Amino acid sequence: MSIEITALSKSFGDFPAVNNVNLKVETGEMVAFLGPSGSGKTTLLRIIAGLEFADSGNIFFSGEDVSEKSANERKAGFVFQSYALFNHMTIFENIAFGLRVVPRNKRLSKQEIRECVLSLLDTIQLSGLENRFPVQLSGGQRQRVAFARALAVKPRVLLLDEPFGALDAKVRRELRAWLSEFHNKTQLTSLFVTHDQEEAFEVANRVVIIHNGTIQQIGYPDEVRSKPANSFIHDFLALDI
Amino acid sequence: MASFIDLHHPPGSDRRADRMVRSTSEPLWLRRLLIGIVLAFFVLFLALPLIVIFQGALEKGFGYFLHNFTDHDILHSMLVTLIVALITVPANALFGIAAAWAITRFRFRGRQLLLALIDLPLWVSPVIGGLVYVLLYGRRGYFGPWLQAHDIRIIFAMPGIVLATTFVTFPFVARSLIPLMQAQGCEEEEAALTLGASGFEILRRITLPKIRWGFFYGLILCNARAMGEFGAVSVVSAKISGKTNTMPLEIERLYNDYLFASAFTVAAALSLLSLITLLLKTIAEWQNTRQLEAGRRALLESSIDTIPSKANA
Repeated sequence: MSIEITALSKSFGDFPAVNNVNLKVETGEMVAFLGPSGSGKTTLLRIIAGLEFADSGNIFFSGEDVSEKSANERKAGFVFQSYALFNHMTIFENIAFGLRVVPRNKRLSKQEIRECVLSLLDTIQLSGLENRFPVQLSGGQRQRVAFARALAVKPRVLLLDEPFGALDAKVRRELRAWLSEFHNKTQLTSLFVTHDQEEAFEVANRVVIIHNGTIQQIGYPDEVRSKPANSFIHDFLALDI
Repeated sequence: MASFIDLHHPPGSDRRADRMVRSTSEPLWLRRLLIGIVLAFFVLFLALPLIVIFQGALEKGFGYFLHNFTDHDILHSMLVTLIVALITVPANALFGIAAAWAITRFRFRGRQLLLALIDLPLWVSPVIGGLVYVLLYGRRGYFGPWLQAHDIRIIFAMPGIVLATTFVTFPFVARSLIPLMQAQGCEEEEAALTLGASGFEILRRITLPKIRWGFFYGLILCNARAMGEFGAVSVVSAKISGKTNTMPLEIERLYNDYLFASAFTVAAALSLLSLITLLLKTIAEWQNTRQLEAGRRALLESSIDTIPSKANA
């Protein structure tokens, strides 16, 4: 599914968090929002998910205007930095949640839900842990459960907010490789927010550099690295290298 | 806990720790004096009165004690108190959740004012709470003529007692939920929302399970106050024994009629309800910490006995 954003703006009080953003993401793309903290990239992602609402501008999912739709109608899969797993539920119930809250007439049968959850557990390589609680898992395992939970409802788009931000370097690399592989297999349109340029350049097809709520540059990883559009990007990219 | 400390302090370091405690604490005589004062206070003001109530109730023998519970007026006062609690507690449960939800989840104009208003019944005397309802719904009150024209009786009747009790028990549920919900944040709710859950499903499956012990605690406090309220209720009740008397009002009536043993019997019954409430409250707190502890222990175990990671694939 493609995503199109036109003239999107949002401010918190006097502070313009997102300022006149225009962006088109094609079906099957994996796009990274890269920028320093406080640049507005997370706010932009939350507006796309429907967790925040823009002051002006529109969002289109495959040409359909979803700007006024609430998050539960948009059903964009969302993965939080802090996992946001339901701590009082088992791993199985966490993943099954999105399938259980569907109205009765459209809901899958118990057996179908079970099969779906078990196959997702297999996908995230956590088979056999369905009866554990989130606190009994490591950070990397929890984040994979959060992935599975978001994927269970068959979202048309996957939004990831600093998905590896709370993990240590080794687990982060493993999960990054896993995500790339997963995306190559499923071709699910994905947007992810990060402040880690290595992560952005390695995983994403295209990189969007955001600063002060505005898009500074959109391009393929090589393009952005070799031809930074302005001095801010040049300095920002130079920080880590 | 002890074994946990031992890991970090080799044998012999105890004495040093002991010395440190001693060097920062008060001299022995002062410690004994302070503990003595606390104990004396506890016995004089808390334990003794409780014992006296039960002693007074049993003064004329156990038979007489039981006989009191066949008295129509006393039984009726218990019924009234029960009905009042059965109406006000659910009403305030609903209001408490709604208020805590609104205050912790939304930023709106007048939010601070609402927060202050919730606390109002704690700041003003309950008598004022009762009086306000007389001024609003009484015969000469604001809505009085209209109510009389429609033959609706609020003051000096059950509705008045329920209203006044609702007023004084207003803050308890909301007050125990607000800090809890503020601390927990709303990421889990947001996650549920992106998974397609409706507001009601989120409340039922995510929010309520997360806050259940805090909620239970608030309900217990609310119930204790609803059963024990005297001031506000005494203003709006006509104090007709066998009709509009709650248990606290009945105790006063019996006492003023020099029926001490009976007064103490009702008092003992009310105290017993309070003691049960206290027990439930303790269980709620204990469950709450146990749940937290279990979570922490599980985390510790899983980090020691790590499940083989298969993420490398």
